[in-house]
Amino acid sequence: MAVFRDVMPAFELFQPTSASDAVTLLAEHGSDAWVMAGGQDSFDWLKDRIKRPKVVVDLSQVSGMSGVRDLDGGVEIGAMTTLTTLVGDPLIRERFPILSEAAGVVASPQIRNQGTIGGNISQDTRCWYYRGGMPCYRAGGNVCYADTPTAINREHAILGADRCVAVSPSDTAPALVALDAKIVIQGPSGERVVDAEDYFIGPGIDITRMHVLKPGELLVAIRIPATWAGTDYYFEKVRDRPVWDFPLVNIAAVKVVNGGTIERIRIVLNGVAAHPWRLAQVENAVTGKPADESTAAMAGEMSIEGAFPLRHNGYKVPLMRNLVKRAIRGVQEA
Amino acid sequence: MELIQWATSPWGQEVPIHLGWVLIWVFAIAGAVFLVGHAIWAGFFAKEETFVEPQVAPGFKERLPAKVKRHSLTARVFHWIMAVSMLVLLFTAFLPLVGVQFAWVEWHWMAGILLTASIIFHVIHASFFLDFWAIWPDRTDIADAKNRAKLMMGKSAALPRKFSKYPFENKMFHMAVMLAGLAVIFTGFFMLYRVRTPFLTRDPYIFFGDATWGWMYVLHGLAGVGFITMVMAHIYFAIRPEKLEMTKSMIFGTVSREHYLDHHDPERWPVSDETSAAPGSATGD
Amino acid sequence: MPEFTNGNIPVVTGDTPPVRGKLVGQDYATPDMVAKVTGKSKYSEDFRADGMLFAKLLLSPYPHARIVNIDASEALAMPGVKCIVTKDELPGAADYITDLGEKIEADKRSDVGLAMEPMYQGEPILALAAVDELTAADAIEKIRVTYERLPFVVDPFVSLRPGGPNARTDGNTWARPEAAPGEEPGPLDVVEVKWTEEDFKEYAEGKMPMGKPTDEWSFGDVEEGFKNAALVLDETFATPNTSHQALEPRTCMAYWQGGKLFVHVGSQSTIQTVPAVARWMNMSEDDIVVISEYTGGGFGAKIRGTVQIVIPAILARKCNAPVMLRASREDEHNIGGARPSVTGRVKCGFDKDGRITALDMYTVADNGPYARNGDYSNAATMVSLLYQPPAMRWRGITVLTNTPPRTAQSQPGGMQGITLMEPLLAKAARQLNIDQVEIHKINAPEGKARFGPPSGAGAQAYTTSCFMKEALDSGAAMFNWKERAAASGTRNGSKVRGVGVASSTFVGGSRGFDGLLVIKPDGKLYIQTGVGNLGTGNYSDSQRVAAEMMGVPWEKVVVTWGGTNKNLPWSCASGGSQTTHATTRAAHAAATDAIAKLREIAARALGGRPADYLVGGERVYRRGGGASMSLAQAAQRAIAMGGRYDGHELPEDINKITATSAKNMAGQGLMGVARDNYDQDGRAFSFVAAFAEVEIDVETGSYQILDFLAVADVGTVIHPSALGGQILGRSMLGIGHALGQKWVYDQHLGIPLAKRFYQNRPPTILDAPVKMQWGALNIPDPETPVGARGIGEPPVASGCCAILNAISDALGDEIFRRAPVSLDMILTSLEAGKPVTEPMTAHV
Repeated sequence: MAVFRDVMPAFELFQPTSASDAVTLLAEHGSDAWVMAGGQDSFDWLKDRIKRPKVVVDLSQVSGMSGVRDLDGGVEIGAMTTLTTLVGDPLIRERFPILSEAAGVVASPQIRNQGTIGGNISQDTRCWYYRGGMPCYRAGGNVCYADTPTAINREHAILGADRCVAVSPSDTAPALVALDAKIVIQGPSGERVVDAEDYFIGPGIDITRMHVLKPGELLVAIRIPATWAGTDYYFEKVRDRPVWDFPLVNIAAVKVVNGGTIERIRIVLNGVAAHPWRLAQVENAVTGKPADESTAAMAGEMSIEGAFPLRHNGYKVPLMRNLVKRAIRGVQEA
Repeated sequence: MELIQWATSPWGQEVPIHLGWVLIWVFAIAGAVFLVGHAIWAGFFAKEETFVEPQVAPGFKERLPAKVKRHSLTARVFHWIMAVSMLVLLFTAFLPLVGVQFAWVEWHWMAGILLTASIIFHVIHASFFLDFWAIWPDRTDIADAKNRAKLMMGKSAALPRKFSKYPFENKMFHMAVMLAGLAVIFTGFFMLYRVRTPFLTRDPYIFFGDATWGWMYVLHGLAGVGFITMVMAHIYFAIRPEKLEMTKSMIFGTVSREHYLDHHDPERWPVSDETSAAPGSATGD
Repeated sequence: MPEFTNGNIPVVTGDTPPVRGKLVGQDYATPDMVAKVTGKSKYSEDFRADGMLFAKLLLSPYPHARIVNIDASEALAMPGVKCIVTKDELPGAADYITDLGEKIEADKRSDVGLAMEPMYQGEPILALAAVDELTAADAIEKIRVTYERLPFVVDPFVSLRPGGPNARTDGNTWARPEAAPGEEPGPLDVVEVKWTEEDFKEYAEGKMPMGKPTDEWSFGDVEEGFKNAALVLDETFATPNTSHQALEPRTCMAYWQGGKLFVHVGSQSTIQTVPAVARWMNMSEDDIVVISEYTGGGFGAKIRGTVQIVIPAILARKCNAPVMLRASREDEHNIGGARPSVTGRVKCGFDKDGRITALDMYTVADNGPYARNGDYSNAATMVSLLYQPPAMRWRGITVLTNTPPRTAQSQPGGMQGITLMEPLLAKAARQLNIDQVEIHKINAPEGKARFGPPSGAGAQAYTTSCFMKEALDSGAAMFNWKERAAASGTRNGSKVRGVGVASSTFVGGSRGFDGLLVIKPDGKLYIQTGVGNLGTGNYSDSQRVAAEMMGVPWEKVVVTWGGTNKNLPWSCASGGSQTTHATTRAAHAAATDAIAKLREIAARALGGRPADYLVGGERVYRRGGGASMSLAQAAQRAIAMGGRYDGHELPEDINKITATSAKNMAGQGLMGVARDNYDQDGRAFSFVAAFAEVEIDVETGSYQILDFLAVADVGTVIHPSALGGQILGRSMLGIGHALGQKWVYDQHLGIPLAKRFYQNRPPTILDAPVKMQWGALNIPDPETPVGARGIGEPPVASGCCAILNAISDALGDEIFRRAPVSLDMILTSLEAGKPVTEPMTAHV
């Protein structure tokens, strides 16, 4: 049977108008169903005929799943809120500017108009072997094509690899983990809420998925507690092109610095592992220390312990180290 | 039911990638059915087997020690190391596939290496330090097995002799385990090139093409699910009351004189009259 | 300062006064502008015909294989599936008889659109037509193809190693067989060339092996040049393979009507696509109609349409229905053409002033599997022109690989050759402590500059004119070079800025095409053109020369283009930077012919001799006043007079296609029709100097372009804003080669990994420097009547190299050894204190 990578195959399309209808549909169709939010990840898979769901549940008509609202000094964000909305939303800009900054560097303006926060954090990896339709571990097979003597793995993982060396491509995910956001999931048996940090999973746990959503479940909202509202932060995305590009590495850090001393801090990177990589040990080590060059240098070195570069991604090690330094002490000016 | 999982290779060809994991349940259920079936049969229908009473020299029984040495310490340690690694291998292999998710790969390959190492030791040990042939069915076993089967089915046949050191069932089990074990070890060794280990350079293209690799995964899986049934049966028999004495011997090294005389033919499994044989002696182990 | 800039500083440069008339040199709205910005313009893909079928391609999964069997029975049994076509049903390339009666033999090994021995992963094997795209796609998946795998290679140096695989079963490179003494070498053939282990001994150190070449030439005493050098550099550098990435994929549609084949196809030359399709289809030119009103970019990959047009053409005949082959972006990667990577090793000697004393260059190109690509050789020719070495040797080889076919891409070969040289030149300037602009100037060509291999008689070709030094001076002044160069390399926190300059050149024109225009009794000037309309504006811009010459206001000019059923003349292809030069000459020739005829008509009608009359202000009038007649009246008279005046008699030297078109238009008015027979001393080349400032973040390796300027020497400026668009647009194309555009292949699998825009990363509009300026000297070329030359190609290399040179100016020479320069190269090289990325492994 010949391989063909163009033209979406036929599927049954559902456009529910409420989250509960969507959940009912998903429960009904189980693993035959594909959830589509903005479609920026979905259309690739569908047009390449690699993922072939029988049913597509398009969330674009669901009401009540988009927008930002106050939640006890924090915010609740509907999963279908577009990234463009997050960039401009006054409440987000005031309380969690790191998130609007992260959303603002996703892909391109057109993609931000279409892409949603729920989709951005739940999108699949961009490993080009996997996206090329190869039967790799992540696709259920028995090979990692990206970690071979001839593989081109410049964009792959330096940490947390387990057979698969793909990375999470999300820009908003590390910001949400840094902000200690909670992910609200609706399923056939009701609602469950998981920490953003636990929403993302590595290949060791499940090599075929990047998050904990199970067939039949729907991400409906993201809640950000007031804990880090209005605090100092650092966000940077390093990428090849200044627009329409996934991160090579990005970093999101929120911190409270008082009199030059770090009182509390959370640091999360993405693009280095299959899930947002939180530096809990580094956070502990720098808490109570001055936010200066020597703390930054120590944090930088600590952050890359255990990093395992592949043939073409060794640069991610100094890049990660330098970004962690910057998260602590800021960008060096003259 | 999908017996083999297929995928499209990077060069567009259909290649096997795994066993159909529904076979986990098939083999597990088959194991359970056998267990329950055997328990019912043994509890309600089985007749006690009779054997030819072996001819022994006068005073032989009296000269026998109360405890007859069956497994040396080395053999016992080997068995339990192998058992632990096998269980680790089975749980790390199959729990994630049935929905219990955890990072299993490192445990799996490390247990695999332990298993391989212990089996290499066992092969050497059994070949050069033990009675290598003790575990292999001999002509008597096969002839007796036929007779036992006939008798069990109510037909007439000559009475079988009592067992040598290992009952025929034990020997057959060992053979099945050996074959499946060699399959997983052989395929598993090459698979080490497909994961990250400290001692091999990862290279999934080494040695074989996509299809051959795929069949190796299928074989690995098939042997693996086979082990589910075999291990279930093995544990079941180990805890059956009539076999408990043998199980204990795998812990303490000895069987009772009575057990020895009831089940074994001293001519086929001669023991010395000392309570403990010298390590490595052909009779004791 | 240049005459034209987007900063609007009109200052005359040079001794010759610039041509700047009412139309020439003025901005205006092209006739297609409204259609384009409102979306009304119709590209090939926008056409639909009744009962039209869609075709889809089945692609080879292997990088090299032989097809053993195709079983399409299941697909053909599906409702809605009409038919399939394989290579066996294609006519195959036919021999070609040129205008001059010269027979060009078809290369039996050329790419004909479909293959039974696919030579690269993604090569089309068959096409299937069905009632809609979904049916076609589903049907393709049901076809079973059995392959026999063959050896493959995607890296030229792997193929050159002893025992390395060959991309074709008959060899790994193109060469002429060695001739017996006194005999001409035979035609190009595929041969096998392997180098020795000894040749490869420095490979690991990043030094390009230089085994046996297939081609070489030299002039001057190279060894002596090195002996006299104060500095000798020996550098290895590699340029990327890049797809053309035209926004319009090569979708094409075909149908048959009254025995004629109608094709809708994007093309850089509407008219030249006719003979091309005739060859591919092995049929008469008279039976082919090409419709190509709008083309969404070509960059060299749609010069005469695309060979894939034969697929819908054959399917349409087989299924008896119109067929559209709709190409996807992935199809574009496979069949859309690409620039070959050229890896080069250049040994170059300089005297203490920075003047090159000798140059020894070796180029190895990644040819793809089909016809010989000449970039490896053009590279050397352009280097010989741009840096004017007194002695030079070139050796080269173009190695066949199992990767998609290569096609000329903007500045083919020139881009690669100059990119091999520029970082070396910048390094030499630093080592000799010479200003970067100065080292470019001291080596710059000037006037009738000589270039290329010497002919049999030992003479080199030379340019028509060259004002490279003036372009460098103008640019340096506009860019405030001296001041900015002094501050280059200064660290500011983690940021460091650098400035770079680069020069560039490429062919600036061809000649010998036809002009065709008619003044009708309605007083309007109807101008026909056969060039493609791919966004440069040339199809219209050049015609303003004719309107200007005849004094016709632009509102009364009707330009006709885009369909060979619309009586188009034989025109230049819009490519190779030939067009402005060629089409202004053709327009000039036609207008000159029309003016002569107008004067004759006026003399006959109004008395006196033709020489007594002038043409202007929509009239033919007698010198010094008196009798005159309007162009409308003259047109009326031309019809009455017939003969050569209204096109019933035609010049004998025009192309037969022009003659056919002219005959069709005969009797409609006064016809101006002529071949461009103007003499030319030298060959037309255009020149560009580019300047860039970058800011690099040494903690991340990322960099941004703060400022960019390109100043062009292109002769007379015809349409300033279109020229600016070309200079900056093509600079961006080159900048893409510096920033990140490339191919990526897995060498074990022979499979491309970067096929999408987001993976192979051509620059987007948001990647363009915020500040971008252009300038043009506007010094007319003395060897062409209008003074104008082409510009499309030269800005590519200077765009790329200005960025490369700015990076090394900021960080030093130990950063990169190949382009594009990505942030990982910068970061790891800074960490290691030496260039980490090795230069020669292909497609990383």
